[in-house]
Amino acid sequence: MRLNRLDLIRYGRFKEAEIAFPKHDDGTPDVTVIFGPNEAGKSTAFHGFLELLFGFKSGAHPYAFRFDRSDLLVGAELDLPGRGATILRRNSKRSQSLLDANDRPVNEAILSGALHGVMRSAYEERFSLDEKGLREGGERIAAAQGDLGQLLHAGLSGMTGMAQTLEALEERADKFHKKRGRGTVLKTGSDRLKEIGRELRADRLTTERERTLRRDRDGAAVAFDAANAELRQTHQRQAAAKAALVWYDRTEDIRQLTGALTNLPDGPDLPTGAAERVAGLVEKIAALRIRITEVDEEIAKQDQIVADNPIDMLTQPLAAELERLDQLTIDGAPLMGRATTARADLARRIEDQEKLTSQINAALALLLVPDAPASAVALEPHALEDLASAIQDCLTANLSADAAQEAFETARAQQGDAPAEPQDLTALRAAFDVWQAVADLSALETEQDQALARLTKATASLPGSWKELIDAGLPARETLEEVARDWAALTAERGSARKDLDARAAELAEARADLSSLEAAPGAVDIVMTEETRRLRDMAWSSHRNDLSIETADQFEARMYADDAARAHYLTGSEARQRLLAAQGQKRTAEVRHDTAKTRHDDLVTHRDQLWERCSRLSLALGLGENAAPSAFGARLQALNAAGEAAANLSNAQVSLAARLTRQQNARNALADAGRPLGLYLDQGDLPVQVQRILTLEDSDRKAWTRWEDGETAIAKLESKSELCRSICEEAQSGLDRLTATLPLPDRSLEGIRIALPHLRSLQQVHADRQKLAARIEDLKQAIAALTEGSQRLARIMDDPEEEARADPVQVIDRTRARVLTATRADEKRAEAETRRDDADRAKRRVDADLRTAQQDLAVCFEGQSGADLTPRDRVGKLVERDHLRADKATADRDRQKTRDGVEADLFAEELDRMPDAARAAELEQALKDAQDTRDTARDAQREAERLYRAAFEAADRSDLATEQATLREELRRGARQSAVARLGVLAARGALRRLAAERRSSMLRDVEEAFVTMTTPAWTGVDVWSQAEGEKLVGIQPDGSTVPVEQMSTGTMGQLYFALRLAGYRSFARDPGPLPMILDDIMETFDDTRARAALQLCAEIGANGQAILFTHHAHLVELARDCIKGVAVVDMPE
Amino acid sequence: MMRFLVSADIHLGSPIQSVALRNPDLGDRLKRASRDTFAEIIDLAISEHVDALVLAGDIFDNDHPDLKSRAFLIAQLSRVSEAGVPAVLIRGNHDALLDHRAHGDLGPNIHLLHKGAPTVEIGDVAFHGLSFDAAHVAQSFLPDYPQPVPGKRNVGLMHTSLGGAPGHDPYAPCAERDLMAHGFDLWCLGHIHAPFERVDEPVLAVMPGIPQPRHFGERKGGTVTLVSLGEGTPEFERRAIGHLGFSECALDLSACSDQQEVLRSLRDALLSAQVPGRDMAVRLLVTSDRHGTDLVADLATEVLDSIDGVFLDKVRSTPPPRKLGAETDDLVRLMHDELVEDGFRQAAMQQLEELRLALPSEITDELDEDGLDVLLEEAIAEVSLTLHAGAAK
Repeated sequence: MRLNRLDLIRYGRFKEAEIAFPKHDDGTPDVTVIFGPNEAGKSTAFHGFLELLFGFKSGAHPYAFRFDRSDLLVGAELDLPGRGATILRRNSKRSQSLLDANDRPVNEAILSGALHGVMRSAYEERFSLDEKGLREGGERIAAAQGDLGQLLHAGLSGMTGMAQTLEALEERADKFHKKRGRGTVLKTGSDRLKEIGRELRADRLTTERERTLRRDRDGAAVAFDAANAELRQTHQRQAAAKAALVWYDRTEDIRQLTGALTNLPDGPDLPTGAAERVAGLVEKIAALRIRITEVDEEIAKQDQIVADNPIDMLTQPLAAELERLDQLTIDGAPLMGRATTARADLARRIEDQEKLTSQINAALALLLVPDAPASAVALEPHALEDLASAIQDCLTANLSADAAQEAFETARAQQGDAPAEPQDLTALRAAFDVWQAVADLSALETEQDQALARLTKATASLPGSWKELIDAGLPARETLEEVARDWAALTAERGSARKDLDARAAELAEARADLSSLEAAPGAVDIVMTEETRRLRDMAWSSHRNDLSIETADQFEARMYADDAARAHYLTGSEARQRLLAAQGQKRTAEVRHDTAKTRHDDLVTHRDQLWERCSRLSLALGLGENAAPSAFGARLQALNAAGEAAANLSNAQVSLAARLTRQQNARNALADAGRPLGLYLDQGDLPVQVQRILTLEDSDRKAWTRWEDGETAIAKLESKSELCRSICEEAQSGLDRLTATLPLPDRSLEGIRIALPHLRSLQQVHADRQKLAARIEDLKQAIAALTEGSQRLARIMDDPEEEARADPVQVIDRTRARVLTATRADEKRAEAETRRDDADRAKRRVDADLRTAQQDLAVCFEGQSGADLTPRDRVGKLVERDHLRADKATADRDRQKTRDGVEADLFAEELDRMPDAARAAELEQALKDAQDTRDTARDAQREAERLYRAAFEAADRSDLATEQATLREELRRGARQSAVARLGVLAARGALRRLAAERRSSMLRDVEEAFVTMTTPAWTGVDVWSQAEGEKLVGIQPDGSTVPVEQMSTGTMGQLYFALRLAGYRSFARDPGPLPMILDDIMETFDDTRARAALQLCAEIGANGQAILFTHHAHLVELARDCIKGVAVVDMPE
Repeated sequence: MMRFLVSADIHLGSPIQSVALRNPDLGDRLKRASRDTFAEIIDLAISEHVDALVLAGDIFDNDHPDLKSRAFLIAQLSRVSEAGVPAVLIRGNHDALLDHRAHGDLGPNIHLLHKGAPTVEIGDVAFHGLSFDAAHVAQSFLPDYPQPVPGKRNVGLMHTSLGGAPGHDPYAPCAERDLMAHGFDLWCLGHIHAPFERVDEPVLAVMPGIPQPRHFGERKGGTVTLVSLGEGTPEFERRAIGHLGFSECALDLSACSDQQEVLRSLRDALLSAQVPGRDMAVRLLVTSDRHGTDLVADLATEVLDSIDGVFLDKVRSTPPPRKLGAETDDLVRLMHDELVEDGFRQAAMQQLEELRLALPSEITDELDEDGLDVLLEEAIAEVSLTLHAGAAK
């Protein structure tokens, strides 16, 4: 296959671009260098070529940026074996994407046959090479360690990762399992499986385990019952022994108690609490006797206190006089409290009074009335405050009146002349608004013009009768789409039917020809024919027997031979007859198929004719010719609909404009009517402009008028306010005059009164103080007189001389007060002592009665008892001891009887017989402990067995382990399979590579060596193959004959060896099965000129065997190519 | 009209066998799958107010003999019994734990049918069933079954492989024709894990299937059957049950242009496997020219991170079939040539044997010698895919 031209019709950034690959028929190598800068679209071109060959891949397309994916289209002219130059195209559809030059689908087999079954990935790997692939290929084949099979495979397939692939597979297998491997997946998993298995087995409650557990549980229960019975028996024996011991001990106790009772007083048992009662009474009697003695001593003591505090007879009159004196007060306080200081205070007050009189005289002098009495000039405080207030009112009113008058005069001066009064413009404004709304016609005029232009454009491609067509009614869109769809389907179906009919006709002709040839074959003779030949032979024989002529003999001979031949052919012609029958059957089948195909074709033709008639009608309705294709219906209908819509729009625009003109004229008339009362007329110029000016000024005129009116109102208010202030001023002056009318002052004007006011205030204050002080002095004098009189009375009561009372009344009063106090205290002590003596008398009588009662109670306690010779304490002690012994004896008897309750009689008798036995209790205690231990052990064992049995059923379900076990097994299954697959894959691959080396070494090694030496000379002179235990290895040969293993070559050399391998692989493929275009993308970018030249020569080798396409963006490589490769074609990337 | 809930092959204690359970959440949810599913069956019987719960054998699993499972069974059957629903059951070939002679009765209102008590009447219906002790029974049970009780509707319980079923041991084989002609109105069967029903009017035979499939081979299960027994042929209704389903998903990645396209295709395929209210373990069968099994498994795992309820059971990737006359890929051709060499087969068998010997005994069948040819085909495909994948990188 050869690529002659690549058409990038709609692909990537390309549109209708093509890259030609010219070929010379003069035997020069088929090499084309495509030159273009970076980003010129070389990769796009290669990608497009691959998609042409193999179809578009699914998903988002990397080159669908200028055109949608569905619009992408690539094409090429290819030289295909057996077909010659063929133009093919490829779109992005999923099926039938390969098209011929007329965009008809063609069979993919055309390409796949030419590609020799190579799939896209293989083509990319095998028939393309770029600098990266070359560099990495060199590095990656190093891992092959020179393995000949791997290297040849890399050359053939272009895939360099064989060593890595085999290594990865082995690694995967080893990871799962490796001999003696410790951390492998299998080892780890197996160990875990064993562990899980152990745990599950231990956990699982099998029938056997349950049986064992049940047996253990039941056995433990029996053992517990036995131990429990033994323990009970031991308990009973111990109880019997204890009872016997108690019986024995209590019997001895009773005997000793009986002996002790004989030495104690006789009599009945004391009642409960008798001893305590006797002791209490004894103590009570002693205490009462002590109390009687104490009361007697208290009576004597109180009598002595009464005698020591006699009664004072003068106390009462003295106390009354003192009380009277205490009632006397001065300045609201008791006189007695100030009796000492009153005289000194009186002298100081008189001095203060004289000073105040001097101040009053000074004040009167300042007021210019020195001779006037102070009481006539001094005002009361409230009168003084009224006077001050009236003065202030007068002053304030005068100031306000002056300010109001000034404001009024200023406002009057500022208010100018009145402006003209504004007129009512409401009607004019309304008319102007109406006019403004309709004044502008430009929008409607523009709209009308646009509608007219749209109509012109819409009808440009329509016939002149378009309006009539629209008026007559257009077909529905759905109808047209249905017809177009039916027509397309019918056309396709008819084409298919035509092809089918042709194929069926060919089949029928072929079947008829086959039948004819088989019928013509001698072996096709059937039994009917043999009967016929026999009948003819017999007839000839009969004729010959009748005539016996030469002629009849010849006829008979001919018939005879014909019959013999027919029969011979019949006998040997069974296979031919079968074929004939089959051919007849095929012919019949072919006839039926042909008839069916013909009927279908005819039906479709009829259907098409009917549909065509319908199409013609629709076509005429749309203004198209009778033969218009249905595919044009949709566009025409759309155009007609657009025209109809444009016409309607134009009509609407015209109507709107006319209506607007009428409204504008009406508005103008209304504006003139409204302007007429204001002196505006149509003939005075542009009326709307005048109206607009008036309306614009209306607002400022109206504001100036409002402002002047407001000023007048304010002036009126200021004037009335000034008058009001003046009247207030007058009222204040009259009030002041009223207040000063009685004052004897020489100047009573506002100013005179204002100046005198401080002096009046001072005079009023001093005059008031002097009046208060005079009253105080008078009170002091009266108090001193009363004190002296009281002191004299006291002296008289006590028979003391009155001179002392007059001289120092306070001393007499104090002495009297001390005497009264002493007498009062003696009265209190005497009263208290008498009270206490009465209390002691009553207590003594009560204690005597209690003593008698206690002595009677004590006698009652000892009634019926002997031992009267003893003191009450000793007597009751003996009686109590007696009662205790009696009680102990009864208790001992009860105890020994009680201890036999519940005790087996036999065991009791046995144990009693053993008494006394000191070791018996310990012996039985040990036996009981042993039995208890045995029983406890058995009980624990039973509980444990029961617990184990229950626990086995109640144990947590280990489904997690079972699940892990199953999952792990599945993982190991999968791992084992993958491991086996990997190992077997490596085994098969290595065998295959050995085979490859054996198959291809002779054909490829020579090519490899030639290419390698061409590129690397003079550093390398050849390649050789070493046979080693693990296989054949490739080595390089240097000029001195030394050999270098592949893995020890430099990176550059390795890349060139890889290139040599690829060239050999290409040459091998080109030889058989045939050449395919090889795409090389700037592979010599890193080569020096010498090696690049050598590589270009090798490209020429590719071109000699097939087609080499070399993309580059290096101009010097282009020149090198021109220099090295004879007849090389150089093509620039399309713009 | 009486209604029964029919189930069989519970296999209590038998775990789910799938690598999908390596997912910790799923593994934890499904570790008691068989028990949880049986509890679900009991809930269904109670909520549907059926007249009887019918269990046609293999309630336990001989590979997991644990009396704790029996205790669980008794607890669950007591629950349904206390709700007024009697239970009728027979033993299957996995039911050694149901031996009443060894372990006693199951409880009131729970009827285990066996040779000593082959029939129980509940209302107007006579249930007949036989339980056999052996794990392998070669002859039909049918001749030993009681005759129908006149005047009653007759229901038979039988654990049988019928005429044979792939993947199931022959057990009490019985011809379907004979079964349907025995005179019972309804047969409740067990042993075959894929559900089916047979109608030979007026007789119905129901194989309810395994309620919780344990592995991919049982993917048709996950069902129980509700049967209405009135006049005429009994009617049936299958109900889905169980917590995990298995499905197979075939996917062709060879047309994908890049990794994103591969991931998108995988996502679409795995999303289509989602079943509301149920976890699904998916087996992916991929066709690709450069995506090996491991790579596909890694990509699918990545995709499944964002898909709820779908888990990976297994992946197998195979290359697309080669075109006729294809001249490329010499390696594959040469590997195929290598397979027929005696020396190669011997070496392959040796490698297989070595690996098999190292495996735990219970999974050695995975590498059975009979499967060598299949393994070799997989091996060639794996080499080719890995090599092409490396080239694509």
